[in-house]
Amino acid sequence: MTTHNASRRLFLRHAGALSGTLGAAAAPLALNLSALSSAAAQSASDYKALVCIFLFGGNDSINMVLPTDTDSWTNYTTVRNQAPDSIALLAPGTAVNAAAAAASPARLGGVLPITPTRAQGRTFALHPMMSTLQTMFNTDKRLAILPNVGPLIVPTTKVQYNARSVGLPVNLYSHNDQQNTWQSFKPEGATQGWGGLMGDLLAAQNGRAVFTAISTSGNNVWLSGQTVRQYQVGSNGAIRMGTNVNNQIYGSATVGTAMKAIVTATRGGHVFESDLASISARSIDAEETLRTVLKVPENPLFGTAPMPGATYNANNDPKLQYDNPLNGTKSFNSLAQQLQVVARMIDASAASGVAAKRQVFFVSLGGFDTHDAQNRGHADLYARLAHAMRYFDTTLTGMGALNKVTTFTASDFGRTFTSNGDGTDHGWGAHHFVMGGAVKGGDLYGTFPVLGAKNANNNNFDSSADQLGNGALLPTTSVDQLGATLAKWFGISDADALTVFPHLASFTTRDLGFMNAG
Amino acid sequence: MNHKLRQQIGVHTWALRMARGLGALAVVAALAACGGSKDDDAPQQSFPPPTGSDVPASREAAARFLTQASFGPTDASVQRVMDLGYGQWIEEQLTKPITKHQANWETLDAVAKAASGATASTTVGPDGVTHSFWRGAIAGEDQLRQRVAFALSQIFVISLQDGNLSNNPRAVANYYDMLAVNGLGNYRDLIEDISLHPMMGTYLTSLGNRKADAKTGRVPDENYAREVMQLFSIGLLQLNVDGSVKMNGSVPAETYTPADIAGLARVFTGWSWACPVAPTAANSTCFGSGSVNGQSDPNRLFAPMINYPQYHSPEEKRFLTAVIPANTDGATSLKTALDTLANHANVGPFLGRQLIQRLVTSNPSPAYVRAVAQVFNDNGSGVRGDMKAVVKAVLTNPEARTLSTKSGKVREPVLRLSALLRAFSFSSDSGYYKIGSTDNPGTQLGQTVLRSPTVFNFYRPGYVPPGSSAEAAKLEAPELQISHETTAAGYVNFMRDTVAGLMGQNGPLNRRDIQVDYAPELALADKPSDLVDRVNTKLMYGSMPAALKTLITDAVTGIQLTGSQTQIDTAKRNRVNAAIFLTLVSPEFQVQR
Repeated sequence: MTTHNASRRLFLRHAGALSGTLGAAAAPLALNLSALSSAAAQSASDYKALVCIFLFGGNDSINMVLPTDTDSWTNYTTVRNQAPDSIALLAPGTAVNAAAAAASPARLGGVLPITPTRAQGRTFALHPMMSTLQTMFNTDKRLAILPNVGPLIVPTTKVQYNARSVGLPVNLYSHNDQQNTWQSFKPEGATQGWGGLMGDLLAAQNGRAVFTAISTSGNNVWLSGQTVRQYQVGSNGAIRMGTNVNNQIYGSATVGTAMKAIVTATRGGHVFESDLASISARSIDAEETLRTVLKVPENPLFGTAPMPGATYNANNDPKLQYDNPLNGTKSFNSLAQQLQVVARMIDASAASGVAAKRQVFFVSLGGFDTHDAQNRGHADLYARLAHAMRYFDTTLTGMGALNKVTTFTASDFGRTFTSNGDGTDHGWGAHHFVMGGAVKGGDLYGTFPVLGAKNANNNNFDSSADQLGNGALLPTTSVDQLGATLAKWFGISDADALTVFPHLASFTTRDLGFMNAG
Repeated sequence: MNHKLRQQIGVHTWALRMARGLGALAVVAALAACGGSKDDDAPQQSFPPPTGSDVPASREAAARFLTQASFGPTDASVQRVMDLGYGQWIEEQLTKPITKHQANWETLDAVAKAASGATASTTVGPDGVTHSFWRGAIAGEDQLRQRVAFALSQIFVISLQDGNLSNNPRAVANYYDMLAVNGLGNYRDLIEDISLHPMMGTYLTSLGNRKADAKTGRVPDENYAREVMQLFSIGLLQLNVDGSVKMNGSVPAETYTPADIAGLARVFTGWSWACPVAPTAANSTCFGSGSVNGQSDPNRLFAPMINYPQYHSPEEKRFLTAVIPANTDGATSLKTALDTLANHANVGPFLGRQLIQRLVTSNPSPAYVRAVAQVFNDNGSGVRGDMKAVVKAVLTNPEARTLSTKSGKVREPVLRLSALLRAFSFSSDSGYYKIGSTDNPGTQLGQTVLRSPTVFNFYRPGYVPPGSSAEAAKLEAPELQISHETTAAGYVNFMRDTVAGLMGQNGPLNRRDIQVDYAPELALADKPSDLVDRVNTKLMYGSMPAALKTLITDAVTGIQLTGSQTQIDTAKRNRVNAAIFLTLVSPEFQVQR
């Protein structure tokens, strides 16, 4: 049980930074500050944030980053052009057919070429909705691509997978379990993720632990550490609980005060009551701070001021609107609004009462489970994703925070290479983006998989060592490697990375090289 | 009636069962009438006095049971449980008239059309489903049936958040009616009607799914095949009858592999809309669009899907223990597949444990799960899958009566609101309970019936809140997955306004459709301790800790009854508001003990 032991080591090593919640077993070590990790003991003068954009449902990245060399493209087109609705995108340079159905490959036009520094002897392109990301990859060099990433226990070959001769992640292909596995290396039921564990190691640099791991998108295990607990901020800012500006409820300050006393404690002694009370206490405490330090969303750094006399409404902010490919209108982008509040939090990180040096954020976009009608669904989702990432990049540029913030995508899993007629099914490995001023953009980091031809008699894609049943990708880069590379930039020591990333020791390359030195 | 015949005449299987159920009800009603009851308020059916463990220990115990078995106790329902005992109350509930959500939706839609000059495009939309849910929850007599339907809607999930479903709310209401009827019928019927419902077919994309094409490389959609196993029947891991996981050495034994998914996916090919023209091996009639030559089944949005042989997989279908020979037709393949799933040893503990979690407690003991699963396996008369017996086993197990600091569950946000609306005299001006969606986590409840974000429901049954007391105590707490700093504030603000009468859509009297009459509570406004006692009885069946009562009583007392009569009246109302609000936001209320 090496995982358990590693986890315990991390806990013990960091015990000195814990607040008053220690168990008796750990208490003797609580005073041993020298046991703190080297990374956490460093006093960082800089600020850094990691932002995870989770694409819920399992992103079909085979239609996001496409190899366009002849063999790859021929196989791709053959496999994905199926009745009744081809999901094969069209070759680079194909003109938009404005008469074609909304979001159909013909209406979208050809895929958008990208030029990686090390092209592995092939050519590549992005989905037609990703022109902003094409610019960020080719020109700005602030976007890198990690091909074929997924959870692995050890480097795994197709032969080993088929023989089940090496350890494999459990409950592969299952949404909830693989969401958890990406975030925590364990299936559903996990309580510690690698974002939160990094927070544990670095929270000592932060003035208030509550502002270490922040979600705009509900509870997600990635943000939970052994002591760090995630904080949920509303996409429009923190929400004041109960009272008006005069601290009254029903016109009574007494009721306001009583509310606060009641929601933040339990007199009944039930286990769940104390958890509810803790959540309410954090909600009130954090909001009382953010109330004064968080700039308004219409501040020109993040948004657009409404007409004089009008109240700001995020839905009407042009900066948060994307070009909707389904109806041709400007539409509100909830992902951009999540990144807006992340930018506001980053802006407030130095403020009194926050004083954060290291923060991890979680935002998300759902709808990627494209079993059917993939053309429409995917085009819309990618338009949102590309707009939101570009909005965030532009906003961080305006804030002067470009080099301090690294953003990466994650998802349940990739999808099958085969088409079921108008969509795709659950897979494993997938391509992902890393974005930021500290990213060595414009390149691929990791081996781009061979996309084979479907066999006549089975779905096992014998012509590709990178593909399993229905052409799902067998990952060649592990989530541990992706995470460890980000962690190194974030200030986690190599030794600590081996505890945060439980399978990292099985991989010889522990820094994929896509980050500039801190 | 055989399957083919049902398809030909377009009768809906679950509707037939519903009709049979109503027939039985009519007989009961007629018998009661023969008895010549003179008291209009007397129930139709008479029962002997309860005995043994069926006797509620107190009104508080009865109210606690009703928190598990209904949308919240009322004075009348508590009395009825006292009179009948738990078991007979359950029996009587199943004879009550069944709330009809599809019919309610149709009425609401007609009202919306009439109000707007009957333009064809005007519709009540998905809100009509939500309104009907609340009408059933607050005013429906079939409380147990509707509570079970709500629980099942969180296991056999479809969601109006899916655009294709929100465009067909009438059919979604039909699906919910189906859960309410079959949810207390037999599981084998239930899983078939779920599998063939076109809203499930739309949600999990089995509708219109085509067989593989070996020439081009197209493969069947695996979505429904995967989720019917993972979520609706057997789950990912092999279970013992008490719900514990079977191990293969040191690792959990999985129930199926990707190959099983691929095999079962072949069964779910060729299914699509009901059609007035029977499909043949060469003619796919309504398969794609739902119509052929301008003809379509007017009920196709909720009539069971039919199989189109042209698109049904002819290959051998192999999964779990089943081997369906090549060239087996769709209906026969489906029967074998669903028989295989429904007879799998996992169903009893898998489904039974989740029902316990929805109704009674997040952390049932293995013995509790085993008792419920054994009833699923055999109801005592040799019948497997008797859901009525399962529900009864869940609600009458001795563990459902015991209290501890670890038992029970966090109340779902929707059930917190329903408890409030039933405890006090809330009413609907329109009679339709126009509440609509309560999705917004920052200003509302973060939960609405039939509006889960995904097929994985609002929360997972095995959720453990990271870094929590629950985790330290090794407890699962599904509902805490949607409890965080935003929902905590959103809930408090929503309840503050709801208690004050500021919840619900605009009604026919040009005010909020949901109104409240606090007359009995206002009468106690000058006696804060009595007022809080009443709220305690109504909302917490007397379980309010003394320290909490003191806090609330002191706050209520702090609102001064001084000044003009208008000011005094306002202050009295604020006292009532405060007593109820402070109870609702307490962690003690938010946990159903």
